Amino acid sequence: MFEMLSYEFMQRALIASVIIGLVCSIIGVFVILRNLTFIGAGTSHAAFAGVTLGYLINQNPLSLAVLFSLITVWVVGFLSRRGHLKLDASVGIFYSLTMALAVLFIGLMKVYNAEVYGYLFGSILSVTQSDMLIILVLGFIVLSLVYLFFKEFHFITFDEEMAKASGIAADWLSFLMLTMIALTIVISLKSVGAILVFALIVTPAAAAYQLTYSMIRMFSYSIVIGIGSSVGGVFLSYWLDLPSGATTVLFVSAIFFLSVIFSPKRGRLTSI
Amino acid sequence: MKIIEVKKLGVKYGGIGVLSGLSFDIEEGDYIGIIGPNGSGKTTLLKSILGIVRPDNGSVRIFDCACHKLRCHHKAKIGYIPQKGQIDPNFPVTVRETVMMGRYSSIGLLRRPTGRDMDLVIDALREVGMEGYIAAPLGHLSGGQQQRVLIARALVQQPEVLLMDEPTTGIDTPTQHSIIKLISNLQKDLALTVLLVTHDINMIIPYVDMMALINTKLYAVGKPSEVLHEKTLTEIYGKQVIVTTKEGGTYVIVGDYHYV
Repeated sequence: MFEMLSYEFMQRALIASVIIGLVCSIIGVFVILRNLTFIGAGTSHAAFAGVTLGYLINQNPLSLAVLFSLITVWVVGFLSRRGHLKLDASVGIFYSLTMALAVLFIGLMKVYNAEVYGYLFGSILSVTQSDMLIILVLGFIVLSLVYLFFKEFHFITFDEEMAKASGIAADWLSFLMLTMIALTIVISLKSVGAILVFALIVTPAAAAYQLTYSMIRMFSYSIVIGIGSSVGGVFLSYWLDLPSGATTVLFVSAIFFLSVIFSPKRGRLTSI
Repeated sequence: MKIIEVKKLGVKYGGIGVLSGLSFDIEEGDYIGIIGPNGSGKTTLLKSILGIVRPDNGSVRIFDCACHKLRCHHKAKIGYIPQKGQIDPNFPVTVRETVMMGRYSSIGLLRRPTGRDMDLVIDALREVGMEGYIAAPLGHLSGGQQQRVLIARALVQQPEVLLMDEPTTGIDTPTQHSIIKLISNLQKDLALTVLLVTHDINMIIPYVDMMALINTKLYAVGKPSEVLHEKTLTEIYGKQVIVTTKEGGTYVIVGDYHYV
């Protein structure tokens, strides 16, 4: 075990997995409780389209992933609030539109690029110094926003209309929350991949939801499950020589099924 | 002193008029029931006062400020109890967390609740007789208990005005009476101005000082004895209405009724 920690790429992978596990598990609680699961799936496709464009025009792929995912969540948010279109319908449109763009950009590339497929399926062991910098900066921004506006996010998650009535800027905060979801997806893109990224956001929070009736405790449990499964996935993938993204997702999914079985909400345990 | 001023208020949804030409004032300390059938614009009136819905015509003012321009310190003085929907029994929120949300606007951005806020939460729960349930999941309580918690969430703001939208919906009849009685006691004890929207006229007649009868427009406003007329109510409800008295109380019978 200590030998594996002596490798620089492994140190980077572990630090990245802690940050990703932390950010995803916190954002996941809002996503689960506000029924925003589908918007995350759509945004990860948009981020992947940004990555493919980056490789096509030789620009930083993660910068374009940020741009594409932010445009997607803002337009989807706007359409669902002002355009009289249901959220899942507007996400559905962007889900296929951005995937079509990604396929188009890949088709326009003259040569096969293995790195693009790395973003599709994820590889935390290949996280570079510059990737780490982006993960650290974006992770810091998302966590700071959650810390600063935690009680307001808490309120709009439970009762947006009541929050608005009592003077909370609910519309503005909802867009900020969508922005944080987009940034979280970009942070996780390289390590888990566009296809699997959303599992890391949804599954720890969904597992935590099974275990408690308190929103504050749900955050705590989600963080423990998120970081634990993210770090555990790295170790398992190294020891078993398996793809890291898939291993992490399978690991966290196993925790989710255990939490369903032992959920106090189903009477197997007393209320926590 | 005038607290709420509604002047020629008109609101449209998708070009269809929901409220038209409403004008009335509410004085400090009034307890007023807003009565009307489903779809008559009662909730829209409340949302206009809260500044959530913007008037298409006329104006609504509270604390001498246009409702759609209310600042946080104004909103903090308005306790709002929305129509209680079905609360998911598994939703992870406790009674303590729910009531504390009522403090968030007063606490302000970038600040955390203090010990004083927690004391106010306990006091508000005590006012509604729910202090023993502070750690309980909200979804595990009965409809009447949940409504008491939502009233505590409004009270913890230390409001001057309480706006309530159908506070007895989805609650059994004995509990409905206890909720209405609780609101009446709070109104007197805390000197609140209360505006209560309901379609259940009989429930509130003994308690309110004033009634406003609306169905898109305002039909009458005044003391219950002054406004509860069969002709006006029949026009509002579009059904035969009988107003009768028994043992000193006034009762309104809308629609199907049978003589025994």
